[in-house]
Amino acid sequence: MNINSRYKTISLILSIILLFGLVGFGSFYTYWNSASPYKTCASCHEIELRVESHAHSSHQNLTCKDCHGTALSNGFHSLKEKGMMVVNHVRKVNTENIRMNEEQILDVMNNCERCHTNEFAKWKLGGHSMTYSHVFLNEKHNTTEQINFDCLRCHGMFNSKSVDEIVEPLKNKGPWKLKDKELMHRSAIPCMACHQIHQEGKPVSQPDYSNPQEAFYKRKAEKPSLTFFHRHEKININVVDLPKLKLTDNNREVAVSDDPIMRNCIQCHAPNAAHQAGTSDDRTPRGVHEGLSCMACHEPHSNDARNSCKKCHPPMSNCKLDVTQMNTTFKDKNSKNDIHFVSCTDCHKANDPKLKQKMMKITRI
Amino acid sequence: MDVKNKISRRKFLSLSLVGIGGISLLSLGALNKKPISKWRFFTENEVLILDALVEQIIPTDESMGARDAGATNFIDKQLMGPYQQFQKDYRDGLKLLQQSSMEKFNSKFEELNWENQTILLKLIDKDELKHSHWEKGADKKFFSMVIRHTMQSFYGSPKHGGNKNNVSYKMLKLDTPIIIGQNRYK
Ligand code: HEC
Ligand code: HEC
Ligand code: HEC
Ligand code: HEC
Ligand code: HEC
Ligand code: HEC
Ligand code: HEC
Repeated sequence: MNINSRYKTISLILSIILLFGLVGFGSFYTYWNSASPYKTCASCHEIELRVESHAHSSHQNLTCKDCHGTALSNGFHSLKEKGMMVVNHVRKVNTENIRMNEEQILDVMNNCERCHTNEFAKWKLGGHSMTYSHVFLNEKHNTTEQINFDCLRCHGMFNSKSVDEIVEPLKNKGPWKLKDKELMHRSAIPCMACHQIHQEGKPVSQPDYSNPQEAFYKRKAEKPSLTFFHRHEKININVVDLPKLKLTDNNREVAVSDDPIMRNCIQCHAPNAAHQAGTSDDRTPRGVHEGLSCMACHEPHSNDARNSCKKCHPPMSNCKLDVTQMNTTFKDKNSKNDIHFVSCTDCHKANDPKLKQKMMKITRI
Repeated sequence: MDVKNKISRRKFLSLSLVGIGGISLLSLGALNKKPISKWRFFTENEVLILDALVEQIIPTDESMGARDAGATNFIDKQLMGPYQQFQKDYRDGLKLLQQSSMEKFNSKFEELNWENQTILLKLIDKDELKHSHWEKGADKKFFSMVIRHTMQSFYGSPKHGGNKNNVSYKMLKLDTPIIIGQNRYK
């Protein structure tokens, strides 16, 4: 046998092995992606708990890959992630608290759009789709408030880096730039800032009409996924477990809505540490709308409130006026009567006796 | 693609191998399936005993007790993590607690009524079961370890497996996460 033919034999054998390998891997891969997650994903105990939580969630009828893709669909990222899990598994590192990094979270988020097109589009329209460039390259903001670690609590919460690795310089004088150009268009408040998917819930189903407890007015509209992502602890906290705001307005305690959803909003749209009304980003309704939840007016994803007035106000209000035409920021952005705080005395004289009577009525709501 | 994001061929190869190796390894796991358990270390029987025990330490009142707040889950989780050295103490301790309960009351600990559970634990706390199976002092040592871990579970961060729904923070009227807006210099 001369060298040349030996060479040929070896390469033939090698290609056969390779072919078998590929066929074998291919069929395994197909099996893997179609079998039940209890047989596949959960064979890694790191994942077991997530399979459990998924099996009891409102998405229980979906497969893991509907959201997470397959090991190969995200290409390199996903291979690396699963590969590292095996490495850690063998090294006996406790990987139970594995969390996806921000890029993986955003990959998963792109899959939400397929089914929740409506919510996704509205989110895109609203302020919460702001990107890193909106957060960190805003000259007015940066010159008045120096960029610091705390910014990431409310936007960029899934980023595992510290703020000095994201943007420079950390000074009141620019120009500022993001260290990684890819961040320019990266979303800073993704769906998972407010929604936790692996969370107990039920898929939609038809009500049981034979059961009186299922009468329309007794049915609870459940959104079990509604949470707030707590960056420091790296967990989502259910809205009912979030603290309710106690707010004072010149020592008077403001009546704050009991709506648990509002507890999500005020984590970011928050007053100062002393909880004084109107400080920092506080928009808690006072004045004529005191006690209302943000959700009474704002749509959760587009944040739009412009169509809300007619839910409560007849075309002519108590003041015999079309409220949308009254001088609040709703009508005129520059009005000093902010829709959140507008009160009777913004329009009426404070010692008007007729007004006093009316205010008595209103504050009793 | 800028230079920084480019991966070297070697890195790509090694990572692909890790990935493919990983997937093949996973397939081995898929063959010998055991039923999925919520628990990482404890058996279902041990969970029943420990649930009853932690509930004696922090009973349910207006707010959740240690059982519902996930103390057992916390201990289970930590035993597979930083508390690995206590695994044997729990395995032996729970077994001995059950034996003591059978001897004294002819009933499983978790099935005893509240008062009898308390009586038994008081004996343990006073180190008075030494004569039986417990080694000298081990009963008290076991009990104080469980107390310690139950407190940690109840007052620590929920991410470690206990303090479900922030129950202890709510009890203490601590706002978590604290509500505080950004500085707005006007
Ligand atoms: C509807 C979309 C969806 C489905 C279906 C889904 N997941 Fe998830 N998964 C998510 C999201 C979003 C997260 C981020 C944390 C959260 O929201 O719970 C996540 C988190 C995880 C995590 C932990 C990583 C982290 O960041 O917390 C694991 C592990 C996981 N999923 C595994 C699975 C497995 C296994 C299945 C199938 C049994 C599955 N997932 C099905 C959307 C989904
Ligand atoms: C393959 C389709 C599909 C994908 C992908 C998907 N969902 Fe859903 N989602 C559903 C269905 C079906 C329901 C059940 C209908 C309902 O309860 O309103 C649902 C319900 C929900 C609900 C309401 C119930 C709850 O648990 O609060 C939220 C919120 C939600 N999805 C968010 C998400 C997010 C965020 C993602 C991306 C991580 C996602 N979904 C991905 C199909 C999908
Ligand atoms: C407590 C949560 C929170 C923190 C911390 C926070 N922000 Fe914000 N940020 C918000 C909210 C809420 C808004 C929307 C304010 C509004 O429109 O009323 C906002 C808006 C912005 C805007 C849009 C323009 C503007 O001024 O409204 C920029 C830019 C911004 N933040 C940058 C930052 C930077 C930089 C930091 C760190 C110094 C930071 N934020 C810290 C919650 C926060
Ligand atoms: C700032 C917080 C926030 C963010 C970010 C957010 N949501 Fe929501 N989402 C809510 C709230 C609040 C509700 C519940 C509204 C209600 O019950 O009145 C909700 C409800 C939903 C529902 C249920 C709708 C229904 O009518 O049953 C879906 C689906 C959903 N969101 C998907 C998404 C998706 C997809 C994204 C990301 C593109 C997203 N959400 C981002 C706050 C948020
Ligand atoms: C994770 C932090 C966070 C949470 C939670 C949050 N917001 Fe926001 N919100 C922001 C930031 C930051 C902005 C500023 C966006 C910008 O200026 O581009 C904003 C902007 C807004 C705006 C102005 C929208 C616009 O298009 O200018 C409204 C209205 C609003 N949020 C309402 C809500 C309501 C209602 C909730 C509760 C369901 C909520 N937000 C929850 C951070 C948050
Ligand atoms: C009575 C209805 C109503 C309630 C309740 C309400 N808002 Fe608004 N909000 C509006 C309207 C209308 C606008 C648009 C006004 C404008 O264009 O300036 C608005 C605008 C905003 C903006 C954009 C910045 C601004 O001030 O113009 C933010 C942020 C905001 N609301 C947050 C909240 C939060 C957070 C809550 C709950 C704590 C809340 N709102 C409750 C009606 C309401
Ligand atoms: C959830 C119900 C609700 C929504 C939504 C709502 N309001 Fe009101 N509003 C009230 C109540 C209650 C009062 C005080 C009672 C009264 O009208 O005398 C009030 C009072 C007012 C007043 C004081 C003058 C008056 O006639 O009482 C103005 C101005 C006003 N609202 C504007 C608006 C605008 C603009 C919107 C839409 C952005 C809006 N409101 C949305 C419930 C609501």
